[in-house]
Amino acid sequence: MIKHKKTNLLGLLGVAALVTSSTFAQAENVPINGVVQSRCIIQTDNAGTYGNPNAYTLSTASSDGGELSIVRFDVSLASAYFAIITAPTDFSSSPSLPDVPTFVGDTTVDAVSDSTGMGAYESNKIEYGFTDKYDLTATGSTWFKTSSTVTMGGNKAFPGGNYTALVVAECIAQ
Amino acid sequence: MADQALRWSMSNVLPSPPGLDIQNVIYSYKIQKETGDWVTVYVQNENANGNGYIFREVDEWRPGSLSGTQINKVIGVGDIPRSLWGDGSIEVDGPGSVYDANVVYTYKVDPCFNAQFDPNCPGYVRPMPAIYEIDLNSLYDVTKDENVDLDRSGTLEQDEENLEENEKEKEEKEEELKRKYRLEKAMTAIDASALFVESTRVDQMNALAQLSVTQQGYYAASMAGGVYNDTVVLADAKLPDSKNGLRNGFAQQLLHQQMIDMQYNLNKTKENN
Repeated sequence: MIKHKKTNLLGLLGVAALVTSSTFAQAENVPINGVVQSRCIIQTDNAGTYGNPNAYTLSTASSDGGELSIVRFDVSLASAYFAIITAPTDFSSSPSLPDVPTFVGDTTVDAVSDSTGMGAYESNKIEYGFTDKYDLTATGSTWFKTSSTVTMGGNKAFPGGNYTALVVAECIAQ
Repeated sequence: MADQALRWSMSNVLPSPPGLDIQNVIYSYKIQKETGDWVTVYVQNENANGNGYIFREVDEWRPGSLSGTQINKVIGVGDIPRSLWGDGSIEVDGPGSVYDANVVYTYKVDPCFNAQFDPNCPGYVRPMPAIYEIDLNSLYDVTKDENVDLDRSGTLEQDEENLEENEKEKEEKEEELKRKYRLEKAMTAIDASALFVESTRVDQMNALAQLSVTQQGYYAASMAGGVYNDTVVLADAKLPDSKNGLRNGFAQQLLHQQMIDMQYNLNKTKENN
C-alpha cells in the first residue's frame, strides 16, 4: 500500500509541472490490514449437569448424580494469557423460586499436557471469590473442571423445571 | 491399542503383520504425590532390536504440582515399524505413583508392504508352483533290491504276450489304413474313367455337329434333272393265294384240332374208368 501511495505522488508531481497556473490538494486514506490468529482457544469438553440428591440441593458432584463442567484452554504462546474462570453465582434460567438459593463453586486443574510447565498451575492460581485466575506460562492444553452446588434457602424444595447456570471462562491477554 | 497395566507386552497390544508402522503414542495418567515432592515419570517402550528404548517420554512433576492432576499427551513418533517396538512400561522415579494410566498406540498398515500380498499391488508376480526335483537314483527300486527274489521269467513272458498283442493291433491298424487308401485310389480311377468317357462323348457330339454344319454350309450338292419312271411291272391281273401258306395254315389247324380232340379223349377215358 505504501508503494501505491508513492506512485500516486509521482503522478501528481507530473501534473503539477504541466499545470503551473493552478494548485490543488488531495487526501487519501490508506488502510493497513492485519489478521491476528488466536493463540488461546477455549473449548467446552463437557457441559456440567446438576444432580438432585435431595429436594433442596443441586450438585455437579458425581456422587450426587451430577457432572462437572470441563473446559479446555489451548495456548500456543507461553506467558501471554490468563485463564479466568468463574463458577456460577446465579441461575441463568429457572422456574420461579420460593426462596433465595445459595451457590458454592470452585475451579481446579483437571489435566495438563505438560507436567513440567503446567504442574504448578493449580498451586499458583489466584482466587477471587468464585473466580479463579491462572497464569498460562506454558504452551499446550489445560483442562479446568468447575464444580457447583446450589442449596435452596430455608431448606425449601426446588420447584420442578429446568435450571441452567453458566460457568464463564475467559482468556485474557497479559 | 491400549493397556491399563504399568508394564505390557506389545504382542498383546498390537498385531504384528508386516508393514505395520506406529505413528503416535497417546497416553494419560494421574499422578499421586505430595505437593512438595519431585517425581519423574517415564512412559517408554524398549527397543526390540537392541538396547535402550525406541520410545521414551519423560514427565517431571515438580514441587507445587498437586496430587490427582492428570496428564494427557499425544506424541508423534513418525512411522516406526512395529518390529522395533519392544515391551512398554510406565516407570516412576521418586516418592510418588501413577494411576488411571492409559496408553494408546495409533498405527497404519501398508497393504502392499510385500507386493505378493495382493495381486493389485505394484510389483506383484504371479506365483509359480514349486516343482521339486527328485533324484531318481534315491528312489527305491525293487528290481535292484538284492533281498527280493523276483520271478523274472514270468515277467518276460508277460512282456512277450503284450508285445505280440501290441504288434497285432499295430498291423491291423496299418492294414486298415492301406485298405482305405486302396479304396480311395480305386474310386479316384473310376471317377477319372467316367470323366474321360463323358469327355469323349461330348467331343464326338461336337464333331458331328461340326460336320453337319460344314456339309450344309460349305458344299453345294447338285442332282441331275429328268424323269425317273417306275420300273415295277405287274403281269397278272389277279394275285393267287400262296399254296405254301395254305398248307401251313391247314397244318396248324390240324394240330390245333388234334389238341382239342386229345382233351376230349382224356375226358372220355376218365368217364369210362
